[in-house]
Amino acid sequence: MSERTQSEAFAAPRRELAADTFGMWIFLASEAMLFGALLLVFLAARIAYPQAFAAASGHLSLPLGTANTVVLITSSFTMALAHVFADAGRWRGATAGLAATGALGLVFLAVKGYEYRSEYLEGLAPVLGAPFRYEGPAPANAELFFNLYFTMTALHAAHLLGGIAVVGFVLARWRRTAAAGRLRRVTATGLYWHFVDVVWIFLFPVLYLIDR
Amino acid sequence: MSAAARTLATYLALLALLAATVGSAFVELGLGNAVLNVAIAAVKSVLVVVVFMRFLSGDALPRLAAAAMLLWLAILFGLTLAARLA
Repeated sequence: MSERTQSEAFAAPRRELAADTFGMWIFLASEAMLFGALLLVFLAARIAYPQAFAAASGHLSLPLGTANTVVLITSSFTMALAHVFADAGRWRGATAGLAATGALGLVFLAVKGYEYRSEYLEGLAPVLGAPFRYEGPAPANAELFFNLYFTMTALHAAHLLGGIAVVGFVLARWRRTAAAGRLRRVTATGLYWHFVDVVWIFLFPVLYLIDR
Repeated sequence: MSAAARTLATYLALLALLAATVGSAFVELGLGNAVLNVAIAAVKSVLVVVVFMRFLSGDALPRLAAAAMLLWLAILFGLTLAARLA
């Protein structure tokens, strides 16, 4: 067993990193099926009820949605920087990048929570037994829009919360992690984080930008 | 270009594309709005996957997983939408 690999299954750290990366991509491919299926349900409903979905989408906050997209893209940027620093063995920069990424993830969740609260107060959150009050055309179809909106964004937020927890774990164990392990953890966490960012890159225009 | 500079350039490009997609929503293009939104999202995703996730510089196995993902997504979307739109 090599000293520099975590598992004795690998002859060299490079092999261990490659196995991590491959495993992560298989996991992300399965996640893409989950989000892809939900997006497809949304797309089919939007094709069936174009006017109702356009009117319902107009009730979402475009400024908050856009601001949150900037926050999430920035968090991916800081995560990518953490990876660049980890590659170069610049550990202080890597931990700063990870900490910024986790903090930006929390900002995203806070803004999302504020949006959920506003939508609930307007009666636009037909989830968990909350009342649905809607003045526009075809309220039943608009309710379907908001059901799908809350399902997709909450599933995305849960993924982001998981990512924040992993970033926190990596930082908490940082001092007790060897150099090769640090690079592996930043690489794997980064792949997951960027995937969650890509999911939002599709969710944002699909949900917020119908016939503005 | 250094890795850090490439990362920064990608970040700025992602922000510019976000501005383009939000701006395009205020221009009346009919079906073109939806097509443009998805096209811009696809370009942004490619930037994130290629630069941030280092898709092209690693070894071949992740590309195999991604190809399988795209194949199954194509079957999922293709068959469903073919039935819907026919």
